[in-house]
Amino acid sequence: MTATTHAKSAKISVRDLKKSFGANEVLKGIDVDVAEGEVVCVIGPSGSGKSTFLRCLNKLEDITAGTVTVDGFDLTDPKVDLNAVRQHIGMVFQHFNLFPHMSVIQNIMLAPVELKKLDKAAARAKGMELLQRVGLAEKADARPASLSGGQKQRVAIARALAMNPGIMLFDEATSALDPEMVGEVLQVIRDLAAEGMTMVVVTHEMGFAREVADRVIFMDAGVICEEGAPEAIFSRAEQPRLQDFLAKVL
Amino acid sequence: MDAKTLKTYRLATRRGRAALGAALTVLALFLGAASASAAVLPAPATAPQAAPASAPAAATDAKGKTFAIATDTTFAPFEFRNGSGDLVGIDMDLLRAIAANQGFTVDIKSLGFDAALQALQSNQVQGVIAGMSITDKRKLIFDFSDPYFDSGVQMAVAKNDDTVKDYAALKGKTVSVKRGSEGETFANSIKDKYGFTVKSLADSATMYDDVKAGNSVAVFDDYPVLAYGVSQNNGLKIVTPKERGSSYGFAVNKGQDADLLAAFDAGLANLKANGEYQKILDKYLAAPETVKQTGFVDLLVNSFPALMKGLGMTLLATALSLVIALVLGVLFGFFKVGENKILRVIASIYVEIFRGTPLLVQAFFFYFGLPQLTGQPLNVLTAGVITLSLNAGAYMTEIVRGGIQSVDPGQLEASRSLGLGYVTSMRRVVVPQAIKIMTPSFINQFVITLKDTSLLAVIGFAELTYQGQQIYASNFRTGETLIIVAALYFIVIFILTQFSNALDRKFNK
Repeated sequence: MTATTHAKSAKISVRDLKKSFGANEVLKGIDVDVAEGEVVCVIGPSGSGKSTFLRCLNKLEDITAGTVTVDGFDLTDPKVDLNAVRQHIGMVFQHFNLFPHMSVIQNIMLAPVELKKLDKAAARAKGMELLQRVGLAEKADARPASLSGGQKQRVAIARALAMNPGIMLFDEATSALDPEMVGEVLQVIRDLAAEGMTMVVVTHEMGFAREVADRVIFMDAGVICEEGAPEAIFSRAEQPRLQDFLAKVL
Repeated sequence: MDAKTLKTYRLATRRGRAALGAALTVLALFLGAASASAAVLPAPATAPQAAPASAPAAATDAKGKTFAIATDTTFAPFEFRNGSGDLVGIDMDLLRAIAANQGFTVDIKSLGFDAALQALQSNQVQGVIAGMSITDKRKLIFDFSDPYFDSGVQMAVAKNDDTVKDYAALKGKTVSVKRGSEGETFANSIKDKYGFTVKSLADSATMYDDVKAGNSVAVFDDYPVLAYGVSQNNGLKIVTPKERGSSYGFAVNKGQDADLLAAFDAGLANLKANGEYQKILDKYLAAPETVKQTGFVDLLVNSFPALMKGLGMTLLATALSLVIALVLGVLFGFFKVGENKILRVIASIYVEIFRGTPLLVQAFFFYFGLPQLTGQPLNVLTAGVITLSLNAGAYMTEIVRGGIQSVDPGQLEASRSLGLGYVTSMRRVVVPQAIKIMTPSFINQFVITLKDTSLLAVIGFAELTYQGQQIYASNFRTGETLIIVAALYFIVIFILTQFSNALDRKFNK
């Protein structure tokens, strides 16, 4: 799998990425390439820097050192229009971050209407299509507060897809959900993977990572400790730290 | 402070201006305007106040001109408002008669005694007529007309008090006097001899209330004022003969407005000659018939027009101030949450200054202090609205900052991750949620600002509290008048908050 990855053009290319919060260095030099259509799952213990790494990929966090190139745009170049780059990167958050003062469909229509100047009817039609895809068409005019956690996260995924991004980032998308709702959200992500979406998924769902990922990255203490195909990571872990981690979570 | 020190301190013998002058001086010095402070403090005898070079020494014709003249708010029977809210009294009638006689026009500004002298020195007005005693200290900074009235001090006690009939009976007791008045000077001069304590209060009505409330046993005040008060049922009676006379004069800034002063003297002489002067005095002093005490309903009916006028001004000042404060609050609030460090510092300094100083000092500063620094007079509504809007704006800034910061940062992140810019994200995502959070605080600030307008009474802004003071200063029915005033505030605030809360519920579900 890794061989084919390098043959394709890299959609995301990270070189020696470092990130510090004050004196605390959270990322200590990360190098990763993600190929078009590849699904990369990032696993690791809390505080290992997985989420910070993910948030550097659309520059929600300022980058302390190194480069992050997405779709050919160097995010550390101040001349690059971040807003334009971010339209190509959808992001799904652990706590959904739906806009509570808008209905479900308005959440989804916001970016297309503001950025693509799509007329309301066209944006709504496109939004309804996305809601259909995540199985929530009937909730279009509901307020986010009236939805269950799983429904909220599916709406958040639909919202992230509204700008037709080429890349999707998932930041522990199922961690805040009740167990019985995890499945419905994972199914949507699984469907996206099947459609060939390029994805970086930070997750605690090892079963899901094993099933869906083309490649698994194990992070610990701000570095990539081990990476490889899911069978290699989950069945033939080399690093003792990964073995410890898997022993705890599996 | 003993009588001697008091005397050296004092510019005034009727009423002083020490407290206000000192406050303004501190502010002026604080702002590095040493030159302005010279105008506030009485000039030492060796260096009399310099007249502007352009001011003509000789009198010119005042005919056809309009002069702004400041006076006290209430110093009945010299100046006070009658039932319909018009300024009347010996000073007022005399000034108007002289103006008519000499063919000039007066624009009378009822500011309060301290404020009137401040306004004169900051050239907001050209003259002051306010039952002001002519004294040597005052002559250093003002030019006085010929004396138009000779006064003197008397002692009065509560109507039902049969124990205090002379000074000897005051031993161990407290008497109240008006700050800076001739009565105060006199009381201090005899307090050691008779063994009583002197308590200085701001105005006549407060002194009388102090006696009626039993906090002091007697007052010392100018005889016409006492006599008029007694005739208006102030609840006191006069028990001693008149002591020490002083003469009242009309004042202009030293070396300025000689035409006005000359016209006043000429007019006064004419009125004395044709008997009109005596008629005016008689109207207020000659055996003032005792007014019958009327009921609460009469008080309410009589005071209603003046109070409504005041309420209108209160609402006008509140509305103007809140609109400006909202703009300031939004602007500086965004500065505070923004990423530009300079703007953040500017906003913080603004908030700290206006939150860290009393509103009253700010009002004095904008009305009296600023014109002295800039030479540009401000009218009382402008100064009042500037004060309130800058003050409320500082609190609004904090409300806006707090509101925006209390929106989950994940909201902004989610919006930015979609590719929406900072401004669009704020406008569409953060601010609508912040407004919902801020609304109760806005309503609260709105109520506070409405009530704060009452502080503008001290600079003579004719709002509701001021009108109330005017009314009880002439009819001495302090308690009842204040109940009416408080009820009006309460009703208006109650209606407006219910209305605001209804809007809040409707739009911020």
